[in-house]
Amino acid sequence: MSAVEARRAGAEKLIVVPYSRVSPAAVATNMILILLGSFFLLPMLWMVFASVDSNPDWAIKLPTPTLANFTDVLGRADAISSFRSSLILAGTTTVVTTVLAVLAAYPLSRMHIPFKRAFMLAILFASGLPVSMLIVPVYQMYVYFGWLDSLYTTALFLAASSLPFAIWLMKNFIDAVPAELEQAAAIDGASTARILRELVLPLTLPGIAVTAIYTFINAWGAFIIPFVLTYSPDNQPGPVEIYNFMGSHGLFKFGDLAVFSLLFSVPVIVLYLFMSRYFSGAFNFGGAVK
Amino acid sequence: MLSEVRFEGVHKIFGTETAVEDLNLRVNAGEFLVLVGPSGCGKTTTLRMLAGLERPSYGRILIGDKLVNNVSPRFRDVAMVFQSYALYPHMNVYDNLAFGMRARGAAGSVIAQRVKETAEVLGLAQLMKRRPSELSGGQRQRVALGRALIRQPQVFLMDEPLSNLDAGLRVQMRAELSRLHERFRVTTLYVTHDQVEAMTMGDRIAVMNSGRLQQVDAPETLYDNPANIFVAGFIGSPRMNFVRGSLTTTRGVAAVEFLGVTTPLSSRAKLTAEAADGAVTVGLRPEDLMWRRAAPPESTLTLSAEVDVVEPMGHEAYVTAVCAGETVTSRFPPRSGVRTRDRIELALNPARLHLFDARSGNTILQRPVAGGAELPRSVGEARVDESEEGRSERQREPHTRSAQSRAEEIS
Ligand SMILES: Nc1ncnc2c1ncn2[C@@H]1O[C@H](COP(=O)(O)OP(=O)(O)O)[C@@H](O)[C@H]1O
Ligand SMILES: [Mg+2]
Repeated sequence: MSAVEARRAGAEKLIVVPYSRVSPAAVATNMILILLGSFFLLPMLWMVFASVDSNPDWAIKLPTPTLANFTDVLGRADAISSFRSSLILAGTTTVVTTVLAVLAAYPLSRMHIPFKRAFMLAILFASGLPVSMLIVPVYQMYVYFGWLDSLYTTALFLAASSLPFAIWLMKNFIDAVPAELEQAAAIDGASTARILRELVLPLTLPGIAVTAIYTFINAWGAFIIPFVLTYSPDNQPGPVEIYNFMGSHGLFKFGDLAVFSLLFSVPVIVLYLFMSRYFSGAFNFGGAVK
Repeated sequence: MLSEVRFEGVHKIFGTETAVEDLNLRVNAGEFLVLVGPSGCGKTTTLRMLAGLERPSYGRILIGDKLVNNVSPRFRDVAMVFQSYALYPHMNVYDNLAFGMRARGAAGSVIAQRVKETAEVLGLAQLMKRRPSELSGGQRQRVALGRALIRQPQVFLMDEPLSNLDAGLRVQMRAELSRLHERFRVTTLYVTHDQVEAMTMGDRIAVMNSGRLQQVDAPETLYDNPANIFVAGFIGSPRMNFVRGSLTTTRGVAAVEFLGVTTPLSSRAKLTAEAADGAVTVGLRPEDLMWRRAAPPESTLTLSAEVDVVEPMGHEAYVTAVCAGETVTSRFPPRSGVRTRDRIELALNPARLHLFDARSGNTILQRPVAGGAELPRSVGEARVDESEEGRSERQREPHTRSAQSRAEEIS
């Protein structure tokens, strides 16, 4: 058999897989994804359209443009006060959670602690528990302590419920900082305070920022906890206020609702963009260790 | 301000694993001592105990005359170059160098001056504004070195600082480190797994294996008089050949038989007390096992062998041959023309033999060192001698060592 013949024989053995441009499986997958996506996107579309529509209703329709809804909402005292409440609630929660998470995560990352693994797993489990499960006993506790209807005490429980995940997140960020850096600094003669201030803090700052932003976004959107633990109109944060827009104000004011929702989403979007910068590798430990 | 460093009966146990076992070692003031051994033998652990990053499970560590077991790293006045360099990633070169002096509260102008000097010594002056991530491997290594140098500590600790550099840079940095030590004479404990680094840089070399110190000696002594098979095999490239042999003593004359030949032992070499007639392991360095045609007249023993592999190195060639059923490597001149399956004659100087106890692996032949003077040497049968209260790094001597030589050693 000559070389040419051999090659021909080889070519005949090739199996040609027919290439179909659109397989039914791909069509189905994409349909499902589009369907799921529209569950998220259509309400947002409605929110944008309705906010500038002079006569909005349930339907998604091209608006008859107006800014009346905006002036209306910005003139409402309850809308403004709910922003203030949300800021206090989410801000306090974020500060408390972040500080405690850093303080807890550092030793969990660096020190030899008995039953550390079990503890971390318990934390992970706790971070998955739905808070609504606990809301009744917590309500009773707040009644007992006389803590009801205060944004700061409400923030305390929000902080408690966001702490497990924040610790978990923070520990992973601290784990990523090589312990040898701290050892090198100690040999260099640095005190613990200096090591924390000049090494640990700057190197974990992205992690702290991410933890804080994540906590803030969650607290900003928290509904059930403030809904149960606060009652006076001045203390209603945004999500509860939106609920009130829909229910107790009698008839629906779709335009106001859409504007309020839109304005309320702005901080979340801004913070999200800010956070994504850290995740896209704006910071790394290049050159620290080989 | 030169300080010596002493480990006295130091153990380090991690859970069930003994990383360092009964370490007795002295680094003399101003000495460059290289700690060498295969990966995982406990070198880093030893260094970290001296730095204060690990606490010894047992034993004492002294810097100067001060017991430092309970002194935190911050107050030990040592500087360490980590295997990983551990540069501060968010600081530029200047701040990396200045960090230690700032931490110790030096004045700004003093710091600037010292950083400038150090950077000049290490050729970093152009890189002061760069972060570690913007430096090459060699430059990072220099910064790590600079961070240690700038401090003028009592002791330098270096953990395989050259292991991540490419070959050319490694040779260059080796020379540079030796030069820096010449200049500043700071007591240095230098860890490596590379025997070439150990031989070229060390005033003395400490060989470690599986957590135990095997031998501490000057490079040539270590090479000529390895305390046991491990040291003999670890130091030297190509590796020493080990072949089976047997020792016989007739009318007070010891002779050893190996590879089909028998030779009386040189009258200048002394057998240790452990030596007994019977099976021994004979060690032959490849450079002592020569091609008959290229051998000097002292190589009186002739062995016949069949060539297995020839590895030309350019300036020489390694020839692996089978001789009396054992495979041995010898160093040949280049272009000898021998090929696989050739029958060749190898020549050996009987004075260059090494003999080891077949079971314990300890040397049983005390060979005279070049020049004839017997230097004190230490053997790795590490047990603290109670009478010495663990005061010296010398391990218990072979029992044959005379009281006289022991006295010489102490004086
Ligand atoms: N923190 C630790 N925990 C448990 N085992 C360790 C630890 N550090 C080192 N070891 C063990 O001790 C032995 C010696 O390690 P090391 O000193 O790093 O060796 P070398 O530096 O000579 O390569 C190794 O077997 C290693 O697995
Ligand atoms: Mg190591």
